[in-house]
Amino acid sequence: MNQAEVIAQLQSIFDTVFLEPVVLTPAISAKDVPEWDSLTHISLMVAVEKSFGVRFRVGEVENAKNIGDFADLILKRKQEP
Amino acid sequence: MSNPHQNPIGELKALLLSGDPRFWDLLDRATRAARDFEEVFLLSALRKKAQARKLSPPKPAKEKIRLAILGGYSLYPLHELIEHLCEMENLPVELWQGDYDNYISEIMDENSGLYEFAPQVIFLLPAERRCMYTGKLTDARGAQQAEARGVVDGLLDLARRVNEKTGAEVITTNFMLPARHDLGAYRSRTLGSDWSFRKWVNLELGLAAPAYLHICDWEFLAHRLGGLAGRDERAWFESKQPCSSALLVELAREAAQLIASLKRAPKKVLVLDLDNTLWGGVVADDGLEGIELGDTSPRGEAFKAFQKYIVSLKQRGVLLAVCSKNDFAKAAEPFERHPDMVLRMEDIVCFKANWEPKSENIRAMAPELNLGLDSFVFVDDNPAEIEIVRQFAPEVTTILLGPDPADYVAQLADCRLFEPKSITGEDAQRTSQYRSDAQRKALEATVTDMVSYLESLQMEAVISEFTPVDVPRLSQLINKSNQFNLTTRRRSEAEVIAVMNDPNFAGYSVRLKDRFGDHGLIGIVIGEKCGETMQVDTWLMSCRVLKRQVEEETLNELVRLTQARGGRRVKGIYLPTAKNEMVRDFYSRMGFTLIAESETKREFELRLESFQPVPTKIKIIRRAYEPS
Repeated sequence: MNQAEVIAQLQSIFDTVFLEPVVLTPAISAKDVPEWDSLTHISLMVAVEKSFGVRFRVGEVENAKNIGDFADLILKRKQEP
Repeated sequence: MSNPHQNPIGELKALLLSGDPRFWDLLDRATRAARDFEEVFLLSALRKKAQARKLSPPKPAKEKIRLAILGGYSLYPLHELIEHLCEMENLPVELWQGDYDNYISEIMDENSGLYEFAPQVIFLLPAERRCMYTGKLTDARGAQQAEARGVVDGLLDLARRVNEKTGAEVITTNFMLPARHDLGAYRSRTLGSDWSFRKWVNLELGLAAPAYLHICDWEFLAHRLGGLAGRDERAWFESKQPCSSALLVELAREAAQLIASLKRAPKKVLVLDLDNTLWGGVVADDGLEGIELGDTSPRGEAFKAFQKYIVSLKQRGVLLAVCSKNDFAKAAEPFERHPDMVLRMEDIVCFKANWEPKSENIRAMAPELNLGLDSFVFVDDNPAEIEIVRQFAPEVTTILLGPDPADYVAQLADCRLFEPKSITGEDAQRTSQYRSDAQRKALEATVTDMVSYLESLQMEAVISEFTPVDVPRLSQLINKSNQFNLTTRRRSEAEVIAVMNDPNFAGYSVRLKDRFGDHGLIGIVIGEKCGETMQVDTWLMSCRVLKRQVEEETLNELVRLTQARGGRRVKGIYLPTAKNEMVRDFYSRMGFTLIAESETKREFELRLESFQPVPTKIKIIRRAYEPS
């Protein structure tokens, strides 16, 4: 799996969670999406962990600056045994 | 109709964007079905968007309940879940949220925002880190108990203060238990462990809570979900969440349920279908003997267990009614004549068995019982009947039973419609009644001699000739009894029927009940008349009721039947097996004389002219071959 494939899978999660369509790019971040508030963020993270079968470590999601960073984090956690 | 379990989100979005009011019904069903945090959350977001777009809801807007949530955790996003679940219960709330871990000062400070808000309901989540024993595990039990009581008193004091100042109903969570092995088996040997300490606090809190204080049983909710699945340490470190997102959903559901129960009365009437609801099969087709009910088959046991649960609801005060598409006489027959029916005619306040639509039958019950239709709950295994009632008597709550009768009890036990309200004065008075019961039991526990013990059991026996309804149970017992079985002769159902129809045989069964319950069919004898002799072909008994004088009454009956048929002696044989050693000397003990003995057979005889019936403490309700 590469970053683009992760983002494609993220896109389908975002399509479910957000009412207004959002087109994901590596550069996009929460401040670019009006619906992406801290409440939505929590359920987004629960959905992402389930969909990718990963568990992020304490504190690391908030260090991701944008979708590209976040996709890389997912990849890193997915590669763990 | 769409299935809310299959991604309702897409359909909801489409309905919302096209302004279709069917959105609300689907949202309601999807919310009930949703178990995942993110799904409930998403449904909540959709609801808010629909409200913002003024998509008109089906029910008229109600005045909002002023709900304050405060506690030792981040209450965000818990508040969102509670708000959504209350809205879907048609109980909209206006929320006030306390600051993280500020609940004590918010309640103590009369000038806090809490009192300015003037709440009607308060949901309090006290911090679990304040519910730990501060001393050593090895401290004296009294010191540990005193500290636990201190935690309880502290919470009761907070609840009392806030109730006095606002008049609000107070809902408080109790405490989750740890789910890690820490301390090992020692955890339950001291009150100083978190495990024991919190259990103790939870018990004391529940038992001491005044009427205005309602316990949101977090310990139970976590237990139901699974202790480990309820915890999420990362969520605590990152955002001070009290538990995992999965348990958060259950906590919010319980809070909404408790808030709803403050405003609503529990249901009063349970309306029951018959065929495939109370028993397996169709009584009009399969006949009284053909329906599945009782301990002969696993399915029969499941239906009997369901009936027992329904009787427990009746004992709690729920009225029971029957609504069946049936011929009245056929529908009533099992209630009157089936030996394994737990429910009897006198348990049913309203019995409708006819060919009218069920919605009309239930509508007719309301004035007869002088109750509103919204007090009724209707249970059926047939989706078409449920649909008719849903459509034509929409005030009635319906429960569609699933495909497996093993799950029927769970479905009713989880329906949340018949939960008792908070303690009333009447309930409190009942305590004295319970106390005298307890004294009676203690007295009985001291009874030492056997005769008084047997007398205290208040035993009743029903002795019956073989009947078609009993055939499966008779055959089952004949084929599985090993220990108390004099001859171990096995018989199929067809062979039992052959015995039943042969005038040379006298076959009878014994049923026993006592003050602790019904033991069911526990003894079988088959005698064969040969001239003046009654040969005992089969004598067996369930070991559960050994030494209760059932043996004596069984013999009394055997002698009576022998005399009634002109016999002068009873001949018994013992055929030894690997398992029936216990009855090797049974006939001698009962007064028979040993007349022949070999490796494979012992023969006994009882002459009737010398026999006197043995008096027992069992009341015989009915005897075999006599009109009932």
